[in-house]
Amino acid sequence: MLSRRDFLSEVLAAAAAAGSFGLLPAWSAEEPSIDIPGEEGMIVRSARFLDLEMPPGFFDSWITPMPHFFVRNHMHEPSTIDGETWRLSIGGEVEQPATVTLRDLDGMPPHTVTNTLECAGNGRAFQEPRVPGIQWQKGAVGNARFSGPRLRDVLERAGVKPTGRHVMFHGLDEVPGKVPPFIRSIPIEKALDQHTLIATKMNGTPLSKHHGFPARALVPGWIGAASCKWLGEIKVLEKEFDGNFMKPGYRMPNHPLTPGEPLNVDDSHVVTALNVKSVISSVWDQAKIKNKVQKVHGAAWAGEADIVKVEVSTDGGTSWEDAQLGREHAKYAWRLWNYLWKVSKSGRYTIMSRATDSRGRVQPMTADWNPSGYLYNAIDQIKVNVEI
Amino acid sequence: MLKFKTAIDAAAILLLMMTCARLLIAQSPELPSGPMQKKVTTACTECHESRIILQQRLSKATWTKEVDKMIKWGAVVDAQDRDAFIDYLSTHFSPDKPAMEMPRSALQKNKQ
Repeated sequence: MLSRRDFLSEVLAAAAAAGSFGLLPAWSAEEPSIDIPGEEGMIVRSARFLDLEMPPGFFDSWITPMPHFFVRNHMHEPSTIDGETWRLSIGGEVEQPATVTLRDLDGMPPHTVTNTLECAGNGRAFQEPRVPGIQWQKGAVGNARFSGPRLRDVLERAGVKPTGRHVMFHGLDEVPGKVPPFIRSIPIEKALDQHTLIATKMNGTPLSKHHGFPARALVPGWIGAASCKWLGEIKVLEKEFDGNFMKPGYRMPNHPLTPGEPLNVDDSHVVTALNVKSVISSVWDQAKIKNKVQKVHGAAWAGEADIVKVEVSTDGGTSWEDAQLGREHAKYAWRLWNYLWKVSKSGRYTIMSRATDSRGRVQPMTADWNPSGYLYNAIDQIKVNVEI
Repeated sequence: MLKFKTAIDAAAILLLMMTCARLLIAQSPELPSGPMQKKVTTACTECHESRIILQQRLSKATWTKEVDKMIKWGAVVDAQDRDAFIDYLSTHFSPDKPAMEMPRSALQKNKQ
């Protein structure tokens, strides 16, 4: 018979033995975790539908590895897609409606675009007053190499009629209840742009199911929702599509709203390109720091524009100094940046980052409020206690 | 008094406890207790898990819009329960409540 103390010591010994043989699951009371194959260390905002956010510490890689790339699903993922039997139909305002297979797409001239994909609602959790939706903080964004044929090459096969002004994507998301299907459209000019793709690969490997296997649209520089996953149908339209995910969903007011004011759908437009934005990825928010030199780092992006400057303030926004931009860059990709902070006095500091883009847009101190929290881009900040 | 013949028994119990704990984490957390807990759980989690509700911090006016949108999208809510749904959600998930701690997905190396 064992006493309670003996029992505890046996359990601890067993735990140590099991741990040393790698038998224990990665769980502790402090760090609960959920097994999601292919997704590593992500913040689980929802497991059904799957919505995963990249933690700030993963912003240190120019190319985001697939297991760290955020996942935003509006509904259930298709349960039965098979790459062999999958077909993509192209119709509407075209001369010759067509159907293509995955093999057809892979046989067309491939193009690769390194693109920073960001969910329109990234940063929504920081909006005041609070707004509904997945409460993304910093990490509903990632940067990857997307490859596949140009959308325009596929559209040319069918021949777009002069009446075709918009291109509609229909995703094969499985729709629960009476939720409208995931259908959105982009203007023909963006659809025919040389960088707009039907992507079948991400970082050189076939798209995973969470990222839209077998094919997704890739509309560079625009909100993630434009890059429709699990494509089933492409339709050329005379007018902008006006279903739920275009109207009233994914719309911005034409004029700034007073925080809390409702959106007048008739005085709004659909969200397209991303804002200028930077985030600090140094993971020591609220931490104690003992070093006199600290590396502050992060990422900055601007949708269809280029990042030209990232500045850092370590005195709560009174003075700013230029950060060093990373060497790796591409038209639609984020720039990593870093700044060596030399600190000489103990105290509590507010560290901020502010990006400027090639169109002269500068990250604001306060983001414009809207009822869905789209395109949040306020100057990022973290607070630290320095003890030297 | 607890009885264990060997350390293997203890290890087995420990692994069982940890597996149970993990399954509890993997399952969606329960909505807060209250007269509407069951009905809200049934109506909402038919389509999505509870964390989508648990992370919201909304005013009563915004909850009203959300409940009406979800009813339009197929959430089964008796007409007589609509106001109680809104009261329950706006009481438990109001802007003054602290933010919800979200779990992480497991690290790849632990799955091998």
